[in-house]
Amino acid sequence: MFLPKKLFPAFTAASLLLAVPALAQTPAGVTEAQAPGGLLEALVFYAVAFLVCGSALGVCFSKNIVRMAVWLFVTLGGVAMTYFLLASNFLGAVQLIVYAGGTLVLLVFGVMLTSKSPWARFDVPKLELAAAAAVALTLAVSLCVVLMRTEWHSAEGVVAGATMDQLGKTLLTTYLVPFEVAGVLLMVVMVGAAHLARQEKN
Amino acid sequence: MLTIGLTHYLIVAVVLFCAGLYTMMTKRNAIGILIGVELVLNSATVNLVAFDRYLGGQKLDGQITALFVIVLAAAEAAIAVGICINVYSNLGTVDVDRASRLQG
Amino acid sequence: MTGHTYEICLALGVLSPMIGFWLLVFGGRVLGKPGAGWFALVTGMGVPLVLATYVLLCWLRVDDATRAALTENAARFHWATIGGVSIDIGIKLDSLTIAMFFMVTFIAFWIFFFSIGYMSGHSDEVDGKRKYWRFFAYLSLFAFSMLGLVVSSNLLFLFIFWELVGLCSYLLIGFYFHEPTPQYAQIKAFVTNRVGDFGFLIGMMLVFFHLKTLDLDQAAVVFGEQYAAGSGIFASGFTMFGWSLATILGIGLFCGAMGKSAQFPLHVWLPDAMAGPTPVSALIHAATMVAAGVYLVARVFRLMTPEALMFVAAIGCITLTLMALIALVQVDIKKCLAYSTLSQLGYMIFGMGCGAWVAALFHLVTHAFFKAMLFLGSGQVIEGCHHVQDMRRMGGLRKKMPVTCWTFFIGVLAISGAGIAGVKVGGAGIGLGGFFSKDEILAVAYVRSHEWTSYERVEEGHGGGHGSDEHASAVKVGASRVILASDPAHGDSGHGSTAHGASAHGGSHATGKAAIFENTPPLPKWMFYLALATAYITPFYMMRAWWMTFMGKPRDQHVYDHAHETPMMYIPLAVLAGGTAFASYFVFRDLFAHAAPDATDAAMVLAIDGTTHTPAMSAAHSYLVYAVGGSFVAGFALAIGIYGRGLDVAEKIKRTAGPLHTLLEKKYFIDELYHLVWIKGCLVVATVARFFDTWVLDLAYNLLGSATERFAVFIGRFVDVHGVDGIVNGISKTSLDVSDVVRSPQTGRIRSYVMFAAMVAAVVILILVFKPEPSHRLLIPSVASLGG
Repeated sequence: MFLPKKLFPAFTAASLLLAVPALAQTPAGVTEAQAPGGLLEALVFYAVAFLVCGSALGVCFSKNIVRMAVWLFVTLGGVAMTYFLLASNFLGAVQLIVYAGGTLVLLVFGVMLTSKSPWARFDVPKLELAAAAAVALTLAVSLCVVLMRTEWHSAEGVVAGATMDQLGKTLLTTYLVPFEVAGVLLMVVMVGAAHLARQEKN
Repeated sequence: MLTIGLTHYLIVAVVLFCAGLYTMMTKRNAIGILIGVELVLNSATVNLVAFDRYLGGQKLDGQITALFVIVLAAAEAAIAVGICINVYSNLGTVDVDRASRLQG
Repeated sequence: MTGHTYEICLALGVLSPMIGFWLLVFGGRVLGKPGAGWFALVTGMGVPLVLATYVLLCWLRVDDATRAALTENAARFHWATIGGVSIDIGIKLDSLTIAMFFMVTFIAFWIFFFSIGYMSGHSDEVDGKRKYWRFFAYLSLFAFSMLGLVVSSNLLFLFIFWELVGLCSYLLIGFYFHEPTPQYAQIKAFVTNRVGDFGFLIGMMLVFFHLKTLDLDQAAVVFGEQYAAGSGIFASGFTMFGWSLATILGIGLFCGAMGKSAQFPLHVWLPDAMAGPTPVSALIHAATMVAAGVYLVARVFRLMTPEALMFVAAIGCITLTLMALIALVQVDIKKCLAYSTLSQLGYMIFGMGCGAWVAALFHLVTHAFFKAMLFLGSGQVIEGCHHVQDMRRMGGLRKKMPVTCWTFFIGVLAISGAGIAGVKVGGAGIGLGGFFSKDEILAVAYVRSHEWTSYERVEEGHGGGHGSDEHASAVKVGASRVILASDPAHGDSGHGSTAHGASAHGGSHATGKAAIFENTPPLPKWMFYLALATAYITPFYMMRAWWMTFMGKPRDQHVYDHAHETPMMYIPLAVLAGGTAFASYFVFRDLFAHAAPDATDAAMVLAIDGTTHTPAMSAAHSYLVYAVGGSFVAGFALAIGIYGRGLDVAEKIKRTAGPLHTLLEKKYFIDELYHLVWIKGCLVVATVARFFDTWVLDLAYNLLGSATERFAVFIGRFVDVHGVDGIVNGISKTSLDVSDVVRSPQTGRIRSYVMFAAMVAAVVILILVFKPEPSHRLLIPSVASLGG
C-alpha cells in the first residue's frame, strides 16, 4: 500500500464509516424521492464525504499540532464543499472565508505564539486513548443506528437553492435582533480577546 | 445508495462530531482541543444545513442558524486563542493537564 | 473513435497526474528514492502521453466536418449558477487543445525522465528529512494543473488551473527552501504573478458582468453580437487612458498573460526563478507554464479589440528587444537561457498582437521543444560540472560531454532560426523549427506595418488556384484562406465573407466579430524593425553561450576534469533534439492552422501555409526569408569572431562599452527601481500610518481610557465596597462551603470532563437505542421513555 502506516487506520475507518450509508437501504419514500441528484451528484458526494471524514480522522490521529491544523484546513474546505452540494452557496463561501480564511489563521497564530517548538509533542497515556476511542466509537455507532432507523417527515419538498437575496432579506427582517446581538457580541469578543492576549505589564 | 439523502449528510456529520470529540479527549495541547471544538461545531453546522435543505421548506432557518454558528465559532476561537496565549504566558506551556487549577 | 471518447481520454489524461500526486503525497516515502520518480513518470506523464498520442492520432485521421461536430458536441456539465450566469465544467475540444495537450505531455514526459537522473545526483535533504518524493509530487501536481489549463472550456476553470500552475511554480522554485535565494525567488515569482492576475480578475469580472457568461466560446459570440449591436460592453461610455471598456477587458486578460509569460514590466521574476532545480526551469519556466500566457491570449483572442492587440504587440515588442539585449551580457548559463526565453516569449506575444496567431502558437511549440532541450542541456552541464554555472569557468566541454554538446548545438541552431533560405524540398523549406515560426511572425509584422493600408482582401476567386472552391477550402485548410478586412471601403464584403466563413464551419461563432477589425490601424514601423533586429541578436548570444561552454580551451582545469554526462540525462536531450528537428513543423503547424478560423474568427489573422500564400504575404515572406535566414549566419560569425579565442576580445569590448555594459548587466536597474518604488514606498506609507496611530489614535484612546478609569474609581469607592461587596462576600462564603463538598471529583483536567460528558451521552444514547421497544421514533426522547 502507498499509505503510510500512521494514516492507515484513519482511512480504513473513514472507508468503513462511509460504507455504512452505502450498504444500508435509505428508508424508502419521502427522502429517497426528494433527492434531486443523479449519478454525478452521488459520486461527488462520496468523494467529498471521503475527504471530510478522512481529514477529520487525520485531525484526530495527528500527533503534532501543525499537522492537525493542516488537516483541519482540509476538513473545513470539505465541509464548504458539502454546503455547495447542499445548494447553500453563500454558506459555503462564508465557511471558506470565515473559517478557512479567518478562524484557521487564528488557530495557526495561536500555535505559533504558544509553543516553543511547533513540533513539540504531548503524549497521552495509551489507556486514555483507548477509552476515548471506545467512547467516540460507541457514540458514532449508536448515532448512526439512530439515523438509520429514523424516518424523516419533510416539509414541502426540497428547496431549489436559496439565493443570497432571500438569505439577506431573512437575516435583516426575521432575524434582525439576533443579527444585531451577534454584531455586539463580536465587538465584545474583539475587546475581550485583545484584553486576554495583551502582554502583562510587570 | 446512489441517491443522496438526508441520512448521508447526517452520517458525515456524525463522523465529524466523533472525530472532534476524540480530538478533545486525547489532545493535551490547548489549541488541539480548540481544533476539536471546531470540528464539533462544523458537524453541527452540517446538520443544520442538511436539515434546512431536506426538511426546512422555504424558510431558510437552518442556513441562518448555521451562519450564526459560524460567527460564534469565530468569536469562540478568538477568545480561546486569547486564553491559550494567556495560559502560555502564565504557565509557560499550553498543556491542559498542567493547567488544572483555577488560580493563575 | 466516436462519441465522447476524446473528452474521456483527455479527462483521464488530466486526472491521472492528480491521482499520482495524491498517492505520492501519502505514499511517496514508502516508494523511496528512485521509486517515487518512476511512479511519477508513469502516472504523472506516461499515461497522459499515451492518451494524448492516441487522441492526436485519431484527431489527425478524422475529417474536418467530424472535427467540427466533435468540437460542437464536446461534453459539458453544469456546475453552478452564480448571479444568473451558468458555469459549466467542460473540455474544449479543438485542434489547439489537442496540439497543446500533446506538446505538454510529450515534453513533460522527457523532463520527468530527466528529473529522475537529475535528482539522483542531488541532495534531497531538507531539515534532515528526505524530500525526494515531494519533488515528484509537485511535478505531478504541475502536470495536472497544466493539462487542466489546456483543456478548460471555461474562463473560470482556466483561471483556477492558472493559479494552480502558479502555485506549483512557487513550490518548485523554492524546492530548496532552506537556502535564501530560492526563498526570495519563489516569493518574488508569486507576488509578481499576483499583480498580473489582478488584471486577469478584472478582465474576467468584465466578461462575467457584461457578457454574462464565462464560457470561452459563448463569450466570444456575445462579444461579437454586442459589437454589432453597439450594446453591452460597447455601450458603456467608460474610458481609461483613452481605452474603452471593451479594450480594458482584453488588456485585463492580457495582464494575466503578462505575469505568467513574464512580459516587460512583470518579467522580473523569471530570471530569478532559475534558482529552482534545472528540470523545473526547463519544464515550467521555459516550455510549458510560461507559454500558458501565450495560450491564454490565443484562447481569448476573440475578446481582444484592435487597441488591445496593439497593446499586446507593443508589450511583446518591448520585451523581446530589451531581454535579448540583457542576454548578451549574462555569464550564468541558466540566466542566459532565461533571458533568451523572455525574448522568445516576447516574440510570441508580439506575434499574437500583430495577428500572427498561427505563427505565434507555432513558435510556442518549437520554442518549447528547443528551450526545454537547451535547459536540460544546461542542467546536464551544471550537474556534470558540480554546480558551476558560470560560463567563464567552462569551455572545451565538448570532449567530456559530446551528446550534450551537439544536442545543445541543435537547440542553438533552432532558436537562431537556422535554415536554408529559398530552398524547398517537397513543398517544405529546409530548416529547424525556429526558422519557420520566427520567419512567419516577422512576415506578418512586415505586412501589418508596411503594407497594411494598401493591402487587399483576398476576394473569392482572387487567391490563385482557389476559385470557386472557396467553400470547400474554407472548411479544409483554414490557413490558406486568409481574410483581411483592413480597409473601411471593404467593410461590407469583409463582413459578409467572414459570416460566410463561419457558416461554412457549421458554428455560430463569428457573427459580427470581423467588423471590429475593419479599422485596425497599421502596426508602427519601429516594432517590425526592433523584432527584425532582435532576430540578429538571438543567434549571437546563443552561439556565444554554446561556444563559451563547449568550445575553445578549458578555462578552469578543475571543472573540466570533473565534467561528465549520464545516460539518464542525455537520452531526453536526444529525444527532444529529434523533436526539434522534425516533428514540430509538420504536425503542429497544421493543427494550429486548422484551429485558427474558429479560435480567431480569422478576421485579422494572417498566416502562411507551407505552400499556399496570398500574393502580398508571399512577397513579404520570400523577401524576409533571406533576411531571417541570413541572421543566424551573421550572428554566429560575430559570436565566433569575438569568443573564438577566449574571452580577451569580449573583455576589451566590455571595457569600451563601460556604462552600457553595466546598464545591461544590472537589467536596466528595474529590480532596483521596483525596490525603491514598491518596497520603500510601502515602508514610507507604513511609517506615516504608524505615526498617525501613535499620535492621533492612541492619544484619543488614552484620554478616553483615563477618563473611564477615574469614573470607575469613583463608582468603586462608594457603591462597590459598601453595597455590592457585602452581598457578594456572603454568597461566596456559602459557595466555598458547598464547593468544598462538590470539588472532590473535579480534577481540573479538561480532558477528563470532556470524557465524562461524552461517556454519559454515549450511555444515554445507547440506552435509548437498544432498549427493547419497537418504537423507532427516537428523535425527541420523552422523560417517560428515559425512565421506562
